[in-house]
Amino acid sequence: MDVIITKNLTKYYGEIKGVENLSFTVKKGEVFGFLGPNGAGKTTTIRTLLGYLQPTRGSATIFGKNIEEDIVEIKREVAYIPGDLNIYGHLTGKQFLDYFAALRSREMTLLDELLKIFKVPLERKVKGYSKGMKQKLGIIQAFMDDPEMVIMDEPTAGLDPLLQQKFYDFILKQKKKGKTMLFSSHILSEVDKICDRVGIIRNGELVALEDVETLKHKRGKKIRLKIKGKPETFKGPKDIKIKDGWIEFVVTNNIDQLIKKLSKYTILDLEINDFALEDIFIHYYEGQT
Amino acid sequence: MNDIFRLRIAFQTMKDNKKITIIITLLFMGMAAMYCGMFPSFKGVLEDMIATGGAEPFEPFFGPAAADMATYVGFINLELYQIFWVVILGILLGFIAASQISKEIEGKTIDLLMSNPVSRKQIVFEKFIGLIPLILIINFATMLTVIGTTVAIGEDLNLYYLFLTHLASIPYLLAVIGIGLLISVIIDEKMKASIFFIALLMGMYVLESISKIVPDYEGIGYVSITHYFNPYDSLKFGKVDISGVIVLIAVTTVCLIISMLYFEHRDIEVT
Repeated sequence: MDVIITKNLTKYYGEIKGVENLSFTVKKGEVFGFLGPNGAGKTTTIRTLLGYLQPTRGSATIFGKNIEEDIVEIKREVAYIPGDLNIYGHLTGKQFLDYFAALRSREMTLLDELLKIFKVPLERKVKGYSKGMKQKLGIIQAFMDDPEMVIMDEPTAGLDPLLQQKFYDFILKQKKKGKTMLFSSHILSEVDKICDRVGIIRNGELVALEDVETLKHKRGKKIRLKIKGKPETFKGPKDIKIKDGWIEFVVTNNIDQLIKKLSKYTILDLEINDFALEDIFIHYYEGQT
Repeated sequence: MNDIFRLRIAFQTMKDNKKITIIITLLFMGMAAMYCGMFPSFKGVLEDMIATGGAEPFEPFFGPAAADMATYVGFINLELYQIFWVVILGILLGFIAASQISKEIEGKTIDLLMSNPVSRKQIVFEKFIGLIPLILIINFATMLTVIGTTVAIGEDLNLYYLFLTHLASIPYLLAVIGIGLLISVIIDEKMKASIFFIALLMGMYVLESISKIVPDYEGIGYVSITHYFNPYDSLKFGKVDISGVIVLIAVTTVCLIISMLYFEHRDIEVT
Protein backbone atom coordinates (compact mmCIF):
# COMPACT_ATOMS: atom_id res chain seq x y z
CA MET A 1 0.00 0.00 0.00
CA ASP A 2 1.27 3.45 -0.88
CA VAL A 3 1.04 5.91 1.94
CA ILE A 4 2.31 8.94 0.06
CA ILE A 5 1.71 9.40 -3.64
CA THR A 6 2.91 12.54 -5.36
CA LYS A 7 2.27 13.38 -8.98
CA ASN A 8 4.34 16.11 -10.60
CA LEU A 9 4.35 18.01 -7.35
CA THR A 10 5.76 21.45 -8.07
CA LYS A 11 6.37 24.46 -5.90
CA TYR A 12 7.61 27.81 -7.14
CA TYR A 13 8.24 30.75 -4.87
CA GLY A 14 7.18 33.38 -7.37
CA GLU A 15 9.76 32.94 -10.11
CA ILE A 16 12.13 30.89 -8.03
CA LYS A 17 11.96 27.15 -8.32
CA GLY A 18 11.53 25.25 -5.07
CA VAL A 19 10.84 21.76 -6.40
CA GLU A 20 9.62 20.63 -9.79
CA ASN A 21 7.70 17.60 -11.03
CA LEU A 22 8.28 15.38 -8.06
CA SER A 23 6.62 12.02 -8.55
CA PHE A 24 7.28 9.36 -5.98
CA THR A 25 5.55 7.03 -3.60
CA VAL A 26 6.27 5.99 -0.04
CA LYS A 27 5.04 2.56 0.97
CA LYS A 28 3.44 1.62 4.23
CA GLY A 29 5.95 0.42 6.76
CA GLU A 30 9.05 1.68 5.05
CA VAL A 31 11.67 4.19 6.04
CA PHE A 32 12.09 6.55 3.14
CA GLY A 33 15.15 8.76 3.04
CA PHE A 34 15.08 12.06 1.29
CA LEU A 35 18.60 12.95 0.44
CA GLY A 36 20.20 16.07 -0.88
CA PRO A 37 22.50 18.94 0.02
CA ASN A 38 21.23 22.11 1.65
CA GLY A 39 19.00 24.08 -0.67
CA ALA A 40 18.14 21.13 -2.92
CA GLY A 41 14.44 21.28 -2.04
CA LYS A 42 14.04 18.72 0.75
CA THR A 43 12.34 21.10 3.15
CA THR A 44 10.17 22.58 0.38
CA THR A 45 8.94 19.09 -0.49
CA ILE A 46 8.13 18.25 3.11
CA ARG A 47 6.40 21.56 3.75
CA THR A 48 4.34 21.23 0.60
CA LEU A 49 3.31 17.70 1.56
CA LEU A 50 2.23 18.89 4.99
CA GLY A 51 0.24 21.87 3.76
CA TYR A 52 2.57 24.64 4.91
CA LEU A 53 3.09 25.62 1.28
CA GLN A 54 0.54 25.51 -1.49
CA PRO A 55 1.66 23.45 -4.47
CA THR A 56 2.01 25.48 -7.67
CA ARG A 57 1.18 22.42 -9.77
CA GLY A 58 0.69 18.73 -9.32
CA SER A 59 -0.94 16.84 -6.52
CA ALA A 60 -0.24 14.55 -3.63
CA THR A 61 -2.17 12.25 -1.36
CA ILE A 62 -1.27 10.94 2.07
CA PHE A 63 -3.22 7.91 3.30
CA GLY A 64 -5.45 8.42 0.29
CA LYS A 65 -6.38 11.96 1.31
CA ASN A 66 -5.62 14.98 -0.82
CA ILE A 67 -3.11 17.33 0.79
CA GLU A 68 -4.97 20.40 -0.41
CA GLU A 69 -8.37 19.33 0.86
CA ASP A 70 -7.91 17.09 3.86
CA ILE A 71 -4.76 18.32 5.53
CA VAL A 72 -6.34 18.40 9.01
CA GLU A 73 -7.47 14.78 8.66
CA ILE A 74 -4.03 13.84 7.38
CA LYS A 75 -2.43 15.39 10.44
CA ARG A 76 -4.38 13.09 12.72
CA GLU A 77 -2.21 10.28 11.40
CA VAL A 78 0.95 12.10 10.43
CA ALA A 79 3.31 13.84 12.83
CA TYR A 80 6.06 16.24 11.87
CA ILE A 81 9.45 17.18 13.24
CA PRO A 82 10.36 20.46 11.56
CA GLY A 83 13.90 21.30 10.63
CA ASP A 84 15.28 24.27 12.54
CA LEU A 85 12.72 23.51 15.17
CA ASN A 86 11.58 26.01 17.75
CA ILE A 87 9.40 25.41 20.78
CA TYR A 88 7.55 27.91 22.98
CA GLY A 89 10.28 29.18 25.29
CA HIS A 90 7.94 30.38 28.03
CA LEU A 91 6.50 26.90 28.61
CA THR A 92 8.18 24.12 30.54
CA GLY A 93 8.75 20.86 28.70
CA LYS A 94 5.84 19.34 30.55
CA GLN A 95 3.49 22.25 29.83
CA PHE A 96 4.40 22.03 26.16
CA LEU A 97 3.74 18.29 25.98
CA ASP A 98 0.45 18.68 27.88
CA TYR A 99 -0.66 21.41 25.49
CA PHE A 100 0.13 19.31 22.42
CA ALA A 101 -1.38 16.17 23.93
CA ALA A 102 -4.62 18.14 24.34
CA LEU A 103 -4.49 19.21 20.70
CA ARG A 104 -4.01 15.62 19.51
CA SER A 105 -6.91 14.25 21.54
CA ARG A 106 -5.50 10.73 21.46
CA GLU A 107 -3.89 8.38 23.95
CA MET A 108 -0.25 9.25 24.50
CA THR A 109 0.73 5.59 24.37
CA LEU A 110 4.44 6.09 23.70
CA LEU A 111 5.06 9.08 25.94
CA ASP A 112 6.55 7.19 28.90
CA GLU A 113 8.81 5.10 26.70
CA LEU A 114 10.00 8.18 24.81
CA LEU A 115 10.72 10.08 28.01
CA LYS A 116 12.90 7.20 29.14
CA ILE A 117 14.89 7.13 25.90
CA PHE A 118 15.12 10.87 25.33
CA LYS A 119 15.55 12.41 28.73
CA VAL A 120 14.62 16.08 28.90
CA PRO A 121 14.31 18.37 31.93
CA LEU A 122 10.50 18.46 31.92
CA GLU A 123 10.16 20.99 34.72
CA ARG A 124 12.50 23.51 33.13
CA LYS A 125 11.34 26.21 30.73
CA VAL A 126 12.17 25.40 27.11
CA LYS A 127 13.96 28.77 26.92
CA GLY A 128 16.76 27.18 28.95
CA TYR A 129 17.03 24.06 26.76
CA SER A 130 20.07 23.36 24.62
CA LYS A 131 19.60 22.68 20.92
CA GLY A 132 19.86 18.95 21.54
CA MET A 133 17.25 19.04 24.33
CA LYS A 134 14.84 20.94 22.09
CA GLN A 135 15.41 18.39 19.36
CA LYS A 136 14.63 15.58 21.80
CA LEU A 137 11.44 17.33 22.84
CA GLY A 138 10.57 17.68 19.16
CA ILE A 139 11.02 13.95 18.69
CA ILE A 140 8.94 13.16 21.77
CA GLN A 141 6.00 15.34 20.67
CA ALA A 142 6.00 13.76 17.23
CA PHE A 143 5.95 10.14 18.38
CA MET A 144 4.07 10.39 21.69
CA ASP A 145 0.66 9.36 20.32
CA ASP A 146 2.17 6.63 18.12
CA PRO A 147 1.15 8.13 14.77
CA GLU A 148 0.94 6.04 11.60
CA MET A 149 3.60 8.14 9.92
CA VAL A 150 6.19 10.66 10.99
CA ILE A 151 7.75 13.11 8.58
CA MET A 152 11.07 14.45 9.81
CA ASP A 153 13.25 17.23 8.49
CA GLU A 154 16.84 16.47 9.46
CA PRO A 155 15.78 15.06 12.83
CA THR A 156 19.21 14.14 14.12
CA ALA A 157 20.60 17.67 13.87
CA GLY A 158 21.86 18.65 17.30
CA LEU A 159 21.87 15.12 18.73
CA ASP A 160 25.11 13.59 19.94
CA PRO A 161 26.19 10.26 18.36
CA LEU A 162 24.88 8.19 21.27
CA LEU A 163 21.44 9.76 21.01
CA GLN A 164 21.49 9.46 17.26
CA GLN A 165 21.94 5.73 17.69
CA LYS A 166 19.06 5.58 20.17
CA PHE A 167 16.96 7.49 17.70
CA TYR A 168 17.81 5.08 14.86
CA ASP A 169 16.93 2.14 17.11
CA PHE A 170 13.63 3.76 17.96
CA ILE A 171 12.84 4.40 14.28
CA LEU A 172 13.57 0.80 13.38
CA LYS A 173 11.36 -0.38 16.22
CA GLN A 174 8.50 1.76 14.95
CA LYS A 175 9.12 0.41 11.47
CA LYS A 176 8.74 -3.14 12.77
CA LYS A 177 5.32 -2.14 14.07
CA GLY A 178 4.37 -1.20 10.52
CA LYS A 179 4.75 2.55 10.91
CA THR A 180 5.95 4.64 8.01
CA MET A 181 8.74 7.16 8.21
CA LEU A 182 9.93 9.79 5.80
CA PHE A 183 12.94 11.78 6.68
CA SER A 184 15.27 14.16 5.00
CA SER A 185 18.95 14.21 5.60
CA HIS A 186 22.21 15.29 4.16
CA ILE A 187 24.07 12.78 6.29
CA LEU A 188 24.55 9.72 4.14
CA SER A 189 25.65 7.31 6.80
CA GLU A 190 22.32 7.58 8.62
CA VAL A 191 20.34 7.04 5.45
CA ASP A 192 22.58 4.07 4.77
CA LYS A 193 21.84 2.69 8.23
CA ILE A 194 18.08 2.97 8.51
CA CYS A 195 16.46 3.66 5.15
CA ASP A 196 14.84 1.11 2.90
CA ARG A 197 14.58 3.43 -0.03
CA VAL A 198 16.06 6.73 -0.87
CA GLY A 199 15.10 9.60 -3.11
CA ILE A 200 17.94 11.86 -4.14
CA ILE A 201 16.97 15.42 -4.89
CA ARG A 202 19.08 17.92 -6.76
CA ASN A 203 18.14 21.45 -7.77
CA GLY A 204 14.54 20.76 -6.90
CA GLU A 205 14.30 17.65 -9.03
CA LEU A 206 14.31 14.00 -8.14
CA VAL A 207 17.38 12.46 -9.77
CA ALA A 208 17.22 8.98 -8.30
CA LEU A 209 14.74 6.81 -6.49
CA GLU A 210 16.03 3.42 -5.45
CA ASP A 211 16.27 0.75 -2.81
CA VAL A 212 19.30 1.51 -0.73
CA GLU A 213 20.65 -2.02 -1.34
CA THR A 214 20.09 -1.93 -5.10
CA LEU A 215 21.71 1.43 -5.27
CA LYS A 216 24.81 0.11 -3.57
CA HIS A 217 24.93 -3.03 -5.72
CA LYS A 218 24.53 -1.09 -8.88
CA ARG A 219 27.54 0.97 -8.08
CA GLY A 220 29.71 -2.08 -7.56
CA LYS A 221 32.88 -2.34 -5.50
CA LYS A 222 35.64 0.08 -4.86
CA ILE A 223 39.12 -1.35 -5.37
CA ARG A 224 42.31 0.18 -4.00
CA LEU A 225 45.63 -1.52 -4.56
CA LYS A 226 49.37 -1.08 -4.53
CA ILE A 227 51.58 -2.95 -6.92
CA LYS A 228 55.30 -3.50 -7.16
CA GLY A 229 56.66 -1.17 -9.77
CA LYS A 230 55.22 2.02 -11.19
CA PRO A 231 51.43 2.31 -10.67
CA GLU A 232 51.15 3.90 -14.13
CA THR A 233 52.03 0.56 -15.69
CA PHE A 234 48.81 -0.98 -14.35
CA LYS A 235 46.27 -1.70 -17.05
CA GLY A 236 42.72 -1.75 -15.81
CA PRO A 237 39.39 0.00 -16.42
CA LYS A 238 39.41 3.44 -17.94
CA ASP A 239 38.57 5.49 -14.89
CA ILE A 240 41.66 4.64 -12.87
CA LYS A 241 42.86 7.20 -10.40
CA ILE A 242 46.33 7.19 -8.92
CA LYS A 243 46.80 8.74 -5.54
CA ASP A 244 49.92 8.49 -3.33
CA GLY A 245 50.96 5.29 -5.06
CA TRP A 246 47.48 3.75 -4.63
CA ILE A 247 45.56 2.69 -7.69
CA GLU A 248 41.82 3.28 -7.31
CA PHE A 249 38.97 2.18 -9.52
CA VAL A 250 35.46 0.77 -9.49
CA VAL A 251 34.34 -2.64 -10.63
CA THR A 252 30.67 -2.96 -11.40
CA ASN A 253 30.23 -6.51 -12.59
CA ASN A 254 32.88 -9.09 -13.31
CA ILE A 255 35.06 -9.38 -10.25
CA ASP A 256 36.52 -12.72 -11.37
CA GLN A 257 38.08 -11.14 -14.45
CA LEU A 258 39.69 -8.55 -12.27
CA ILE A 259 41.21 -11.06 -9.88
CA LYS A 260 42.69 -12.99 -12.81
CA LYS A 261 44.13 -9.81 -14.19
CA LEU A 262 45.60 -8.87 -10.83
CA SER A 263 47.46 -12.19 -10.68
CA LYS A 264 49.85 -10.86 -13.32
CA TYR A 265 51.11 -8.19 -10.92
CA THR A 266 52.88 -8.36 -7.63
CA ILE A 267 50.32 -6.99 -5.20
CA LEU A 268 51.68 -5.15 -2.19
CA ASP A 269 48.34 -4.20 -0.69
CA LEU A 270 44.70 -4.56 -1.63
CA GLU A 271 41.40 -3.14 -0.36
CA ILE A 272 37.98 -4.10 -1.67
CA ASN A 273 35.06 -2.06 -0.35
CA ASP A 274 31.37 -1.84 -0.96
CA PHE A 275 30.27 1.35 -2.48
CA ALA A 276 29.04 3.62 0.26
CA LEU A 277 26.19 6.03 -0.30
CA GLU A 278 28.76 8.79 -0.12
CA ASP A 279 30.24 7.60 -3.38
CA ILE A 280 26.83 7.39 -5.00
CA PHE A 281 26.04 10.81 -3.76
CA ILE A 282 29.24 12.21 -5.19
CA HIS A 283 28.39 10.47 -8.44
CA TYR A 284 25.02 12.21 -8.64
CA TYR A 285 26.42 15.55 -7.73
CA GLU A 286 29.52 15.39 -9.88
CA GLY A 287 30.07 18.41 -12.04
CA GLN A 288 27.83 20.47 -9.83
CA THR A 289 29.10 23.51 -8.08
CA MET B 1 -16.12 20.20 13.73
CA ASN B 2 -16.40 19.44 17.42
CA ASP B 3 -12.78 20.37 17.87
CA ILE B 4 -13.45 24.00 17.14
CA PHE B 5 -15.40 24.30 20.38
CA ARG B 6 -12.72 22.81 22.57
CA LEU B 7 -10.66 25.97 22.37
CA ARG B 8 -7.34 24.50 23.49
CA ILE B 9 -5.39 27.17 21.63
CA ALA B 10 -7.65 29.88 23.03
CA PHE B 11 -6.98 28.68 26.59
CA GLN B 12 -3.27 28.57 25.90
CA THR B 13 -3.44 32.11 24.50
CA MET B 14 -5.13 33.26 27.71
CA LYS B 15 -2.47 31.55 29.81
CA ASP B 16 0.29 33.02 27.67
CA ASN B 17 -1.19 36.49 28.14
CA LYS B 18 -1.62 36.14 31.89
CA LYS B 19 1.29 38.35 32.80
CA ILE B 20 0.45 41.09 30.33
CA THR B 21 -3.20 40.99 31.42
CA ILE B 22 -2.20 41.58 35.03
CA ILE B 23 0.19 44.38 34.11
CA ILE B 24 -2.27 46.27 31.91
CA THR B 25 -5.12 45.76 34.37
CA LEU B 26 -3.03 47.17 37.23
CA LEU B 27 -1.91 50.03 35.01
CA PHE B 28 -5.46 51.00 34.14
CA MET B 29 -6.67 50.58 37.69
CA GLY B 30 -3.87 52.91 38.74
CA MET B 31 -4.73 55.42 36.03
CA ALA B 32 -8.43 55.31 36.88
CA ALA B 33 -7.78 55.81 40.58
CA MET B 34 -5.36 58.63 39.86
CA TYR B 35 -7.58 60.61 37.48
CA CYS B 36 -10.75 60.16 39.52
CA GLY B 37 -8.88 60.97 42.72
CA MET B 38 -7.26 64.05 41.17
CA PHE B 39 -10.57 65.68 40.29
CA PRO B 40 -11.26 67.55 43.58
CA SER B 41 -7.94 69.36 43.40
CA PHE B 42 -8.42 70.26 39.71
CA LYS B 43 -12.01 71.32 40.00
CA GLY B 44 -11.35 74.93 40.95
CA VAL B 45 -8.71 75.49 38.28
CA LEU B 46 -10.95 74.01 35.58
CA GLU B 47 -13.93 76.09 36.61
CA ASP B 48 -11.82 79.24 36.34
CA MET B 49 -10.56 78.12 32.96
CA ILE B 50 -14.05 77.59 31.59
CA ALA B 51 -15.28 80.88 33.05
CA THR B 52 -12.53 82.74 31.18
CA GLY B 53 -13.21 80.86 27.92
CA GLY B 54 -10.13 78.68 28.24
CA ALA B 55 -11.95 75.56 27.06
CA GLU B 56 -13.09 77.05 23.78
CA PRO B 57 -10.11 75.89 21.70
CA PHE B 58 -11.03 72.30 22.62
CA GLU B 59 -14.67 72.62 21.70
CA PRO B 60 -14.49 71.79 18.02
CA PHE B 61 -12.62 68.65 18.93
CA PHE B 62 -14.30 67.37 22.08
CA GLY B 63 -17.67 69.02 21.42
CA PRO B 64 -19.87 69.79 24.40
CA ALA B 65 -17.62 67.56 26.52
CA ALA B 66 -15.00 70.32 26.56
CA ALA B 67 -17.32 72.78 28.27
CA ASP B 68 -18.17 70.06 30.74
CA MET B 69 -14.56 69.62 31.80
CA ALA B 70 -15.07 71.05 35.25
CA THR B 71 -17.75 68.50 36.16
CA TYR B 72 -16.74 65.09 37.45
CA VAL B 73 -18.30 63.22 34.53
CA GLY B 74 -16.81 65.61 31.97
CA PHE B 75 -13.40 65.37 33.62
CA ILE B 76 -13.12 61.58 33.72
CA ASN B 77 -14.58 61.38 30.22
CA LEU B 78 -11.82 63.55 28.80
CA GLU B 79 -8.89 62.34 30.86
CA LEU B 80 -9.71 58.70 31.38
CA TYR B 81 -11.99 57.56 28.58
CA GLN B 82 -11.19 59.77 25.58
CA ILE B 83 -7.45 59.45 26.02
CA PHE B 84 -6.65 56.35 28.04
CA TRP B 85 -9.47 54.12 26.92
CA VAL B 86 -9.88 54.99 23.26
CA VAL B 87 -6.26 55.71 22.40
CA ILE B 88 -3.88 54.10 24.90
CA LEU B 89 -5.84 50.92 25.62
CA GLY B 90 -6.62 50.66 21.91
CA ILE B 91 -2.93 50.81 21.11
CA LEU B 92 -1.95 48.28 23.80
CA LEU B 93 -4.58 45.73 22.85
CA GLY B 94 -3.96 46.15 19.13
CA PHE B 95 -0.23 45.83 19.76
CA ILE B 96 -0.79 42.52 21.50
CA ALA B 97 -3.28 41.26 18.89
CA ALA B 98 -0.97 42.19 16.02
CA SER B 99 1.78 40.05 17.52
CA GLN B 100 -0.31 36.91 18.10
CA ILE B 101 0.25 35.04 14.82
CA SER B 102 3.22 37.05 13.58
CA LYS B 103 5.33 36.08 16.60
CA GLU B 104 4.60 32.39 15.97
CA ILE B 105 5.65 32.73 12.34
CA GLU B 106 8.71 34.80 13.18
CA GLY B 107 9.71 32.44 16.00
CA LYS B 108 8.88 29.35 13.91
CA THR B 109 6.68 27.89 16.65
CA ILE B 110 3.84 27.94 14.09
CA ASP B 111 5.50 24.92 12.42
CA LEU B 112 4.86 22.72 15.41
CA LEU B 113 1.48 24.22 16.22
CA MET B 114 0.28 23.50 12.68
CA SER B 115 1.59 19.94 12.83
CA ASN B 116 -1.39 19.17 15.06
CA PRO B 117 -4.77 18.29 13.56
CA VAL B 118 -6.09 21.85 13.76
CA SER B 119 -7.03 23.93 10.75
CA ARG B 120 -5.45 27.29 10.16
CA LYS B 121 -8.87 28.93 10.41
CA GLN B 122 -9.25 27.44 13.82
CA ILE B 123 -5.88 28.79 14.94
CA VAL B 124 -6.90 32.35 13.98
CA PHE B 125 -10.36 31.98 15.51
CA GLU B 126 -9.02 30.63 18.78
CA LYS B 127 -6.36 33.33 19.02
CA PHE B 128 -9.18 35.86 18.73
CA ILE B 129 -11.26 34.15 21.39
CA GLY B 130 -8.20 33.91 23.61
CA LEU B 131 -7.84 37.70 23.64
CA ILE B 132 -11.39 38.43 24.74
CA PRO B 133 -10.82 37.75 28.47
CA LEU B 134 -8.13 40.42 28.37
CA ILE B 135 -10.75 42.98 27.29
CA LEU B 136 -13.29 41.82 29.85
CA ILE B 137 -10.89 41.74 32.78
CA ILE B 138 -9.46 45.20 32.12
CA ASN B 139 -12.95 46.59 31.63
CA PHE B 140 -14.35 45.13 34.79
CA ALA B 141 -11.37 45.97 36.98
CA THR B 142 -11.21 49.55 35.74
CA MET B 143 -14.93 50.02 36.24
CA LEU B 144 -14.69 48.79 39.82
CA THR B 145 -11.77 51.12 40.45
CA VAL B 146 -13.72 54.10 39.12
CA ILE B 147 -16.67 53.20 41.33
CA GLY B 148 -14.45 52.75 44.38
CA THR B 149 -12.59 55.99 43.86
CA THR B 150 -15.80 57.91 43.17
CA VAL B 151 -17.27 56.70 46.43
CA ALA B 152 -14.04 57.49 48.26
CA ILE B 153 -13.92 61.10 47.10
CA GLY B 154 -17.68 61.52 47.48
CA GLU B 155 -18.46 62.53 43.88
CA ASP B 156 -21.68 61.85 42.02
CA LEU B 157 -21.74 59.36 39.17
CA ASN B 158 -24.55 57.42 37.53
CA LEU B 159 -23.33 53.87 37.95
CA TYR B 160 -25.64 52.53 35.28
CA TYR B 161 -24.21 55.04 32.78
CA LEU B 162 -20.72 54.01 33.82
CA PHE B 163 -21.58 50.36 33.26
CA LEU B 164 -23.06 51.26 29.88
CA THR B 165 -19.89 53.08 28.88
CA HIS B 166 -17.74 50.07 29.69
CA LEU B 167 -20.16 47.79 27.91
CA ALA B 168 -20.15 50.03 24.85
CA SER B 169 -16.35 49.98 24.80
CA ILE B 170 -16.32 46.21 24.28
CA PRO B 171 -17.31 46.30 20.58
CA TYR B 172 -14.70 49.01 20.05
CA LEU B 173 -11.98 46.93 21.69
CA LEU B 174 -13.10 43.82 19.79
CA ALA B 175 -12.71 45.77 16.56
CA VAL B 176 -9.23 46.75 17.74
CA ILE B 177 -8.15 43.12 18.24
CA GLY B 178 -9.90 42.11 15.00
CA ILE B 179 -7.83 44.61 13.05
CA GLY B 180 -4.70 43.67 15.02
CA LEU B 181 -5.17 39.99 14.24
CA LEU B 182 -5.67 40.71 10.54
CA ILE B 183 -2.36 42.56 10.48
CA SER B 184 -0.84 39.67 12.42
CA VAL B 185 -1.63 37.08 9.74
CA ILE B 186 -0.28 39.30 6.95
CA ILE B 187 2.95 40.68 8.41
CA ASP B 188 5.42 38.00 9.53
CA GLU B 189 7.50 40.04 11.96
CA LYS B 190 5.81 40.81 15.24
CA MET B 191 7.41 44.23 15.77
CA LYS B 192 6.55 45.36 12.26
CA ALA B 193 3.00 44.10 12.66
CA SER B 194 2.52 45.83 16.01
CA ILE B 195 4.00 49.10 14.82
CA PHE B 196 1.86 48.97 11.71
CA PHE B 197 -1.19 48.63 13.93
CA ILE B 198 -0.22 51.67 16.01
CA ALA B 199 0.32 53.70 12.86
CA LEU B 200 -3.07 52.61 11.56
CA LEU B 201 -4.95 53.44 14.75
CA MET B 202 -3.21 56.79 15.11
CA GLY B 203 -3.92 57.50 11.45
CA MET B 204 -7.60 56.78 11.98
CA TYR B 205 -7.64 58.91 15.11
CA VAL B 206 -6.03 61.84 13.30
CA LEU B 207 -8.52 61.55 10.43
CA GLU B 208 -11.38 61.60 12.87
CA SER B 209 -9.90 64.64 14.59
CA ILE B 210 -9.52 66.45 11.27
CA SER B 211 -13.09 65.63 10.40
CA LYS B 212 -14.23 67.34 13.59
CA ILE B 213 -12.04 70.41 13.34
CA VAL B 214 -12.02 71.18 9.62
CA PRO B 215 -15.38 72.06 8.09
CA ASP B 216 -16.36 70.17 4.91
CA TYR B 217 -14.27 67.19 6.01
CA GLU B 218 -16.87 65.60 8.30
CA GLY B 219 -17.06 62.59 6.00
CA ILE B 220 -13.51 61.29 6.54
CA GLY B 221 -14.22 60.62 10.20
CA TYR B 222 -16.33 57.64 9.22
CA VAL B 223 -13.25 55.61 8.24
CA SER B 224 -12.02 55.65 11.82
CA ILE B 225 -13.21 53.07 14.33
CA THR B 226 -12.78 55.70 17.06
CA HIS B 227 -15.71 57.51 15.46
CA TYR B 228 -18.09 54.76 16.55
CA PHE B 229 -17.39 54.75 20.26
CA ASN B 230 -18.39 57.85 22.15
CA PRO B 231 -17.85 57.56 25.90
CA TYR B 232 -19.19 61.04 26.66
CA ASP B 233 -22.68 60.28 25.38
CA SER B 234 -23.00 57.14 27.44
CA LEU B 235 -21.28 58.46 30.55
CA LYS B 236 -23.25 61.71 30.69
CA PHE B 237 -26.60 60.86 29.10
CA GLY B 238 -26.71 57.06 29.13
CA LYS B 239 -26.91 57.04 25.32
CA VAL B 240 -25.29 54.36 23.21
CA ASP B 241 -25.25 54.77 19.47
CA ILE B 242 -26.53 51.40 18.30
CA SER B 243 -25.54 51.96 14.69
CA GLY B 244 -21.98 52.60 15.90
CA VAL B 245 -22.03 49.33 17.81
CA ILE B 246 -23.23 47.54 14.69
CA VAL B 247 -20.45 49.10 12.61
CA LEU B 248 -17.85 47.99 15.15
CA ILE B 249 -19.20 44.44 15.30
CA ALA B 250 -19.24 44.35 11.50
CA VAL B 251 -15.61 45.56 11.38
CA THR B 252 -14.63 42.85 13.87
CA THR B 253 -16.45 40.12 11.95
CA VAL B 254 -15.08 41.16 8.57
CA CYS B 255 -11.52 41.38 9.92
CA LEU B 256 -11.83 37.96 11.52
CA ILE B 257 -13.20 36.35 8.37
CA ILE B 258 -10.55 37.93 6.13
CA SER B 259 -7.85 36.86 8.62
CA MET B 260 -9.08 33.28 8.58
CA LEU B 261 -9.35 33.12 4.80
CA TYR B 262 -6.04 34.83 4.19
CA PHE B 263 -4.21 32.67 6.71
CA GLU B 264 -5.80 29.52 5.30
CA HIS B 265 -4.27 30.13 1.89
CA ARG B 266 -0.92 31.75 2.55
CA ASP B 267 2.41 29.96 2.45
CA ILE B 268 4.28 29.50 5.71
CA GLU B 269 7.81 29.75 4.43
CA VAL B 270 11.01 28.96 6.22
CA THR B 271 12.75 32.23 6.88
